[in-house]
Amino acid sequence: MTQEMITLPARRWSDLGTLRQSGLWRLLGNSRIQLAIAILGPILFLTIFRSMLPLPGPLQTNLQAMTQPPSLGHLFGTDRMGRDILSRTLAGVQISMFVGFAVALLALVVGLVMGTLSGFFGGVIDRIMMAITDIFLAFPSLLLAIGLVSVLGTGMIPVVLAISLSDVPRFIRLQRSMVLSLRNRAYIDAARTVKASQVWLMTRHIIPNTIAPLLVAASIAAANAILVEAGLSFLGLGIMPPEPSLGNLIRDGQSYLEQAWWISTLPGVVILMIAIGLHFLSDGIRQVLDPRSRK
Amino acid sequence: MNFLRPIQALNASPTGQTSLLEVRDLHTHFLTDGGTVKAVNGVSFEIERGERIAIVGESGSGKSAMAMSLLRLLAYPGKVVAGQINLNGRDLNRMSERQLNHIRGREVGTIFQDPMSSLDPVMKIADQMIPPIMRHLDMNSEKARAEAIGWLDRVGIPDAGRRIDAYPFEMSGGMRQRVMIAMALSGRPKLMIADEPTTALDVTIQAQIVELLKELTSETGAGMIFITHDLGLVARFAHKVGVMYAGKLVEFGPVKDIFARPCHPYTQSLLDTIPPVDQAERRKLAQIPGFPPDMKLPLVGCAFKDRCAAAHERCFVEAPDLTLRGPGHRAACWKPEGLGEARRKDAELVPPMTHSEEDRVVVEVFNLHKHFTGRSVLPWKVPPTVRAVNGISLNIREGETLGIVGESGCGKSTVARLLLGLDPATSGDIYVDGMAQMVFQDPASSFNPKMMLADIIQEPLVVTGWGNRMERAARTRELLAQVGLDESYMSRYPNQLSGGQRQRIAIARALALKPSVVVADEPTSALDVSVRAQIINLMVDLKRQLRVSFVFISHDLLTVSYISDKIAVMYLGEVVEYGAADEVFRNPAHPYTQALIAAVPVPDPVAEEARMKKPLSGELPSPLDLPSGCAFASRCPRATDHCRAEKPLLQAYSKSREAACHYAN
Amino acid sequence: MLTYSLKRLAQLFVTVLGVVTLVFFTMRMIPGDPISAMAGDNLSGAALDQMRTQMGLNESLLMQYLTYLGSLAVLDFGNTVTTKLPIIQLILDALPVTVSIAVGTIILTVLISIPLGTLAAYMAHKGHKTLDNAITGVAMVLDLMPSFWTSLVCLLIFSLALGWFPASGTVTIDDPVQLMRRIALPVLVLSMAQIATMARITRTSVLEVLSEDYVRTARSMGWSELRVLFRHALKNAALPIVTVVGLSFGNLLNGTVIVEFIFTLPGIGNLLVGGINSRDYQMVQTLILFYALIFVIINFATDLVYRVFDPRVQF
Repeated sequence: MTQEMITLPARRWSDLGTLRQSGLWRLLGNSRIQLAIAILGPILFLTIFRSMLPLPGPLQTNLQAMTQPPSLGHLFGTDRMGRDILSRTLAGVQISMFVGFAVALLALVVGLVMGTLSGFFGGVIDRIMMAITDIFLAFPSLLLAIGLVSVLGTGMIPVVLAISLSDVPRFIRLQRSMVLSLRNRAYIDAARTVKASQVWLMTRHIIPNTIAPLLVAASIAAANAILVEAGLSFLGLGIMPPEPSLGNLIRDGQSYLEQAWWISTLPGVVILMIAIGLHFLSDGIRQVLDPRSRK
Repeated sequence: MNFLRPIQALNASPTGQTSLLEVRDLHTHFLTDGGTVKAVNGVSFEIERGERIAIVGESGSGKSAMAMSLLRLLAYPGKVVAGQINLNGRDLNRMSERQLNHIRGREVGTIFQDPMSSLDPVMKIADQMIPPIMRHLDMNSEKARAEAIGWLDRVGIPDAGRRIDAYPFEMSGGMRQRVMIAMALSGRPKLMIADEPTTALDVTIQAQIVELLKELTSETGAGMIFITHDLGLVARFAHKVGVMYAGKLVEFGPVKDIFARPCHPYTQSLLDTIPPVDQAERRKLAQIPGFPPDMKLPLVGCAFKDRCAAAHERCFVEAPDLTLRGPGHRAACWKPEGLGEARRKDAELVPPMTHSEEDRVVVEVFNLHKHFTGRSVLPWKVPPTVRAVNGISLNIREGETLGIVGESGCGKSTVARLLLGLDPATSGDIYVDGMAQMVFQDPASSFNPKMMLADIIQEPLVVTGWGNRMERAARTRELLAQVGLDESYMSRYPNQLSGGQRQRIAIARALALKPSVVVADEPTSALDVSVRAQIINLMVDLKRQLRVSFVFISHDLLTVSYISDKIAVMYLGEVVEYGAADEVFRNPAHPYTQALIAAVPVPDPVAEEARMKKPLSGELPSPLDLPSGCAFASRCPRATDHCRAEKPLLQAYSKSREAACHYAN
Repeated sequence: MLTYSLKRLAQLFVTVLGVVTLVFFTMRMIPGDPISAMAGDNLSGAALDQMRTQMGLNESLLMQYLTYLGSLAVLDFGNTVTTKLPIIQLILDALPVTVSIAVGTIILTVLISIPLGTLAAYMAHKGHKTLDNAITGVAMVLDLMPSFWTSLVCLLIFSLALGWFPASGTVTIDDPVQLMRRIALPVLVLSMAQIATMARITRTSVLEVLSEDYVRTARSMGWSELRVLFRHALKNAALPIVTVVGLSFGNLLNGTVIVEFIFTLPGIGNLLVGGINSRDYQMVQTLILFYALIFVIINFATDLVYRVFDPRVQF
């Protein structure tokens, strides 16, 4: 009875819905993803709602509470100007997250477009693209970023650009190599026998099959970008103090290592947690998308 | 009925001597995360000295797991959980790894399926062959080297003394398999285990390897277990045959008896799925419905019951044991004759299609060439050129099926791509009246894994702007019905399908735009025998119903001749024989066609004995430097200086046939 | 072989030229110029102009570029802006420190990571998941620890708390004992991350090889698992590992900059950071170029090694 009531398109939609659901369900059911959520969830939650927490502002000094070790009042302790390290760390996480997200997005978008064009059309475009990426890949990533920051100046935007510049060529290469191996698949040939357009082939057959590995790479790139940004700031070449970037916090504590170990070490633990969380995330996505890796 | 005794009575050997190998109630499990797969589920058999036993089964039947269990060569998570493996009375299953390492390579030699990956790529042949000989036969390195060269020479490696220092990548697949055989024999084993040793090879090379194995084992007196999925191959050389299904032996007995009087419904069906050699009238191939059981789930009753036409109540409750059906012939079925009457019911006659000269020509190919030019290492050198297709002319009429056969590398797939317009031809003309569509060999890569089946089938319609949404959906349902699938498949994804179902979807997609010709490149090669018959039957039905023309490309001559009206035999980019299928198959004119047909394994031991035994020698020469004369001269038994000097052209041999040989008439 | 090397060398040359060009023009994009940055407000307009002419900064960009290429060809990198010392001299003085750190790290890494990765792979292959999971888990955490943070923690523990290694003090190549004591911690810190990466790669490569058919062939000939592991698996897995060692060199160079900065070691990384802080662009430009060159040459060498040791690759 119910079977007859439902018209065909509606049934297809509901099928699609359940499939999407089951995809999300599989993601959430993966133990790596659960771990990632368990690590990143609280950090993100605290960062987003930090203004509602009973914490002093990240730049607020308190001369009554200078260089205090971790206590119930200041969970991560305070620095030499009495600023609350936890509050500063959370503000730093916000910067890190922004940098990580921006770099990953930039690398993903540029890599996807350029890599697809380069791999799909080959020929002169491809050779020029490869020569250019070769040049950028000739620099160790942090050193390329250092060089660029020294030119572009410090601050958020230059840092994001400097870090992406070593990720973008990597993403172009990754996308290109995937496109090259997909280009000769039988289903592409099948579409070509009915004279499907190049745009059709790229958008319907190639890109949907490369998105997943690119997302995996992007979450690793995000983790890496967070580490590089912290490194740059630590060297005094990234985000400038008093902005509480995580690298700056660690740099601040470097001179007081003996007197106040918490200033440098605790923000470092948070960076590590974020990086581990992002790696679990990428591992999880890969496991869910590629059943072969689930050995 | 008095044959239906349990097998225990057979155990006591009359002479009191133990068998070479006696396997008793072997169980092998794979402990995966998703559950325990009971791959081998109680297998028992024995081999006498010098006896060749073939174990036949489809993929997933547990035949390879069984073979690998004998020497405990299974990788994690596979594990032999119970059973006895008595080799000359000693139980291998109770030995330590250390003790077993003195058996492996010494008393039992092993040959594996894929010769391309079975030899260490970064080690010379010598370094892989000599140390085991030194160890097992206690020889010094010089003597061992001489011994190794002797074996390589014996298995037919030309210039063995020099080739022993080559790396595997410098040899062809057939040569590597010969090296594997030499290696396996070098410890002078009493038993050889060959796990699908010819599956990855071309049909002519397959015949050479099978002959070689047969010859060498009878020469050295070694017993052999030969694992294969190809029943036809078995008839050629086995003494006894075991048929495996769902981890169990369902039938076991002398080869002639099994072929003449199969007792288990599964064996009977398998034999009926093979296209007959004598094709005076074409009957529909038998097909086995359904799928093998999931080996993770517990089985109640007979494993084959769901696919068996003769299944009755008892089959669903109790699993049958092997019972005696004749001298040394056992089968595990409650019915004494298996399918019995039900067996013949399927074989419905396929009425021959009528073709006439008035039918329109849908494909015409004239003097087609396709050359691939490589990159030269140095700019001033002439780049190497491969002449993949070297001047062929063909035509196909409406509703006609053209079969193209040849060994791998003969250019048959290139012809397919040219016909479809996927690659541009170097020169020559292709004329297609209407549209050409394709069915691919590898069902796995034929579909975009991210697309629903409805979208896959509709893709040609959408791309060409055919109809509106509703019309396309209706057409999709119609197509699914034509290939024997129901509507529920529309919202599934390719990874939810079996190999046979995928190939049906591929055919549906190819038919979507009502093409005039469908090019099928090895459409059944990746499929199991039982499924293969389904797809062939489907294609035969479709060509009758829709009068669509097919180009059927395959290395499997038996299948090609069954389905085709005309056959083109290709060798090194050229058509060497071209004509009516029955005529070419029954009375081949070109020596190459003759050799190909001689190499086809025939599922009839009596007929096999009467056939030409000498397989075609040598391998396909490099297409880089083709000889000026006949390309086949280097392998042809009848070649003369005239052949080597002057290229024979394709000439009329009879009214409906052409052949390219100076001595065809 | 020779043809291939020459071809790769030509490719290498193009890349290096690209790198030089990129560095040159990027440096010229800096707002203002090094003279004003260096001189501040102390000099008059005329004096500045004179210095610009002297340094060739008033010529067209193309001319400057060509002059620059010409001076590179004779290894003339100019002088530092602040101390007027030849840059090449400073770099050559600093290089031994950086090289000792890098070499020490590579040795320590290879010695620890390859056995560890092989062990993990073997365990995974046999289905003993606990040890494998432990090794891969620890490797991941080590890999993700920011090296500057690890440096500080090590400094805190081993120098300040335990006093095993000096945290500061002069370093010269002439005093090897002191050098060793000073670079021990940096090497340890850098190795931690490198070991993690290398162990993971080794595990993956060996695990892949262990499930290859030829490993089964060797087992079927009666060889023990250990012999198969060493004779076949490691030999085949070595090639991808070599490639990764070469590629991870870039990470290592990144790391040396950080540890030299933290442990105040007078290597070229410290020169670089100092150069940026004192806005000595000539210095920065030369050093970035230098790093890129080292990296490119190492990659080239890796590629050649790979090809020499893999019999399947033909030239």
